[in-house]
Amino acid sequence: MKLEICHLYPDVLNLYGDNGNILCLQQRLAWRGIESSVTRLPIGESADFTKFDIFFIGGGQDFEQEVLLADLDRGKSAEIRAAIADGKTFLTICGGYQMLGRSYTTWDGVTCDFIGAIDFETVGAKERMIGNFAFQCGEESGGSVVVGFENHSGKTRLGPGVQPLGRVLSGFGNNGEDGGEGVRWNNVFGTYSHGPVLPKNPEFADAVLRTAIARKDPSFVLPALDDALENTAHDYMLHRLNL
Amino acid sequence: MNLRAFLAIIVCRCVKLAARILHRGGTAMPGRFAVKVCPDLPAILAKDVHIIMVTGTNGKTTTSRIVEQGLLDAGADCFANRSGANLLSGVTTLLVENSTLFGKAKHDCAVIECDEAAFRTVAPLVQPEVILVTNLFRDQLDRYGEITHTLTSIRDGILGVPGATVCLNADCSLTASLRDDIPNRCLFYGLGEALGGGKAPAISDASHCIRCKAEYQYKYRTYGHLGYFVCPECGYHRPDTDVTVTRLLGRDADSSTVEIETAELTRTVRINLPAEYNIYNAAGAATALMAFGMDAEAALKCAENFQCGFGRMEKFTLNGTDLRMILVKNPAGCNQVIEYLNGLEGEFLPVFLLNDNPADSTDISWIWDADYEKFAEHFSGEVVVSGIRADDMALRLKYAGVPADAIAVERDFDELIRRVTEQDRPVFLIPTYTAMLDLRGRLAHLCGTREFWE
Repeated sequence: MKLEICHLYPDVLNLYGDNGNILCLQQRLAWRGIESSVTRLPIGESADFTKFDIFFIGGGQDFEQEVLLADLDRGKSAEIRAAIADGKTFLTICGGYQMLGRSYTTWDGVTCDFIGAIDFETVGAKERMIGNFAFQCGEESGGSVVVGFENHSGKTRLGPGVQPLGRVLSGFGNNGEDGGEGVRWNNVFGTYSHGPVLPKNPEFADAVLRTAIARKDPSFVLPALDDALENTAHDYMLHRLNL
Repeated sequence: MNLRAFLAIIVCRCVKLAARILHRGGTAMPGRFAVKVCPDLPAILAKDVHIIMVTGTNGKTTTSRIVEQGLLDAGADCFANRSGANLLSGVTTLLVENSTLFGKAKHDCAVIECDEAAFRTVAPLVQPEVILVTNLFRDQLDRYGEITHTLTSIRDGILGVPGATVCLNADCSLTASLRDDIPNRCLFYGLGEALGGGKAPAISDASHCIRCKAEYQYKYRTYGHLGYFVCPECGYHRPDTDVTVTRLLGRDADSSTVEIETAELTRTVRINLPAEYNIYNAAGAATALMAFGMDAEAALKCAENFQCGFGRMEKFTLNGTDLRMILVKNPAGCNQVIEYLNGLEGEFLPVFLLNDNPADSTDISWIWDADYEKFAEHFSGEVVVSGIRADDMALRLKYAGVPADAIAVERDFDELIRRVTEQDRPVFLIPTYTAMLDLRGRLAHLCGTREFWE
C-alpha cells in the first residue's frame, strides 16, 4: 500500500510547526512499512486532486491570506470541495481549517468568502485565544483526548447539522463559548490545535490515517507502535492542565 | 530635574538594593517601579548619553556585546545592558544605575539592546543616535502575533527618532523594507555572496514580497530568508550595501575569517566567534560603530578579540570537560546551530534543553519548524534532552530520525550537570532562554564565573 499526501500551500500556510503533522503521518506509516509520498502544492501550482489520499492544510499569517484567496479562486476551491465530497481525508489546522468554511469576517466588519466546503463561518475577535488546551474527540474520530496549543482570534460557529471534532476539556476551542472544538465532516478533520497536533496525540494521528487507509483496503488493520515517548509528552500536558 | 524623577531614582535604587539583599537578579523590577513613579524618567536620564540601540529577532545580545567591545577598545566611556534585560523596565534600571542620584549621566555613551516589541516605546524615549536592526525572523509568535506586527513596532519606534542613523541588514527583505517608511539616514550591511550553504530553507519566514506579495526570487541565499532577494513583480530588491562581507577566507570551531569591504577600504577581518550568523553580527556591529563616528579601520576590528558570553557560544570548563552553551530561541537560530554542530569534527555530546516559560515562548511548536532532520542525518550517538518540555524535545528528535533508545531524558539540572561532566567528550548545551539562565547560574557557581547582574 502507498498513500499519497498533498500538502496544500506549504509556502504560506506553515505556521507554528504545522509541518510536523506531515512528518508524523509519514513516519507513522513508514514504521509500519507503508509507503507514502508528499506532494507540495504551493500557490500557482496545480495537480490532479483525485490521485491524493490525504490532504493537509496548515495555519498562516493574515498578511499571506490575501495571496491565497486569489489562488483558490483560480480553481482550487472547486477541486477541494469535490475531494471533500468524495470522502478524501483532510487534516486542516487553524487558518487552513477556517478556509474550508463559508467565510471569515474581521473584527472590524470586512468579510472574505472562503471555500464553502462545510457549513460554518468564522468571525474575528479582538482578543486572541492563546494557550495550551485539550479536547476529547467524538466517537467517530476515535474518542481520544487531544492536547495542543491554540492561538487564534477567529471565533468559529458551526452550522446546523455540522459536528465539532470534539468537546473542549480545557481552553477555548472553536469560540470559547459553545464547548465545541474543530469540525468533523465526512473525512475532514479541522482543528485549532497547533503543537503540532499529531506527534503527541498518536491515537488521533492513527484515527486520521485509518480514514485514508480504509478507502484503500477496508480490511487493513493498522499495527500498534511503541508510543511510550508520545504518551509521556501527551500525559505531561494533561497533568499541566489538571486533567 | 524634577522632584518626581528624583523620587523615581530613589525608588529604583531602594528596590534594587532590596532585590540584592534577597539575592534576586533585580534587573527589571526596580525600573518597573521607577517608571510608574515617573514615566519620562528614561528620557530624562538618557538626555546626555550618546546611545547605540540594537534590536531585531536574532543576534541582539551578541551584536550589542561586539559593539560595546569596539567602543571599549577605542577607549570610550560606555555602559550597556549586559544582562539582556531589554524591556522598558530593564533599560530604566540600567539608566538609573549609570547616573547620579540627581540624574546626571556618569558615562558618555551606551549600547542598549532593546526587545522588538518594546522598541516602539523605548527608542523615542531614550533617543538613540544610532539604531541597528539585525534581522526579523519568526519568534515567540504567542507574544507578538505576527512578524509584520514586529516590523510595525520597529518602524513606529524609528519614526520617533528621525535624527538617528539607522543600520539595516540588507539581506533581510523585512528589515530592509523599513527604509521605505522612515526619513532617517540609512546604512546597509550584508553578505556579498552565499558564503555557506545557500540552499532554500524548508520554511521561509518571508517568501513573498512585503510590498506586492509576489514570490521573491534569489540571486543567492545565505540562511533562512536572508540573501539577495529580488521581487519579479514590483522590482523590490536587496539594497546596495555600505558594509559588505565579500569573501569567506576560513572558518573553524571557534572563529571565521572574512574579507569586508566599505566605501573606503577592504580588510581581512578575523571574527572571534564561530558560525555564519555571527558574521552578520560582526558586520552589523561594525556598521553601527561607523555610523556612530568611528573610523572604518577600527570599526571592522571590533570582533577580532571578542569573548563570547552569557550563553551565546559561551565556554565553561568543569571537571576537565569542555562545555559550550549555545542559546536557541527560534527556528532560524536553531538551524544555524545545527549547521554549526554538523560542521564539528570528533565526538561530542549534544544536550537540548526546552523550557516553555513566557521568556522562552509558551508555544513550543517552533521546534517542529527547525531542521532537526539535518542533525539526525549527521549525528550518531547519545543525545540528552532536558528542560520543562523535555518530553516534547525527545519526541521531536524521534520523529527527526534519532533512534528512541539513543535519547536520554534528564529533567534535573544538577543531575544533568553531574552526568555531562563525567564525559570525556566536549559537551554542547543548547538551551532556550530560561533554561540557559537557570543552567548558566549553576555552571557559573560551580566554575566561579561571576553572575551577570554583579
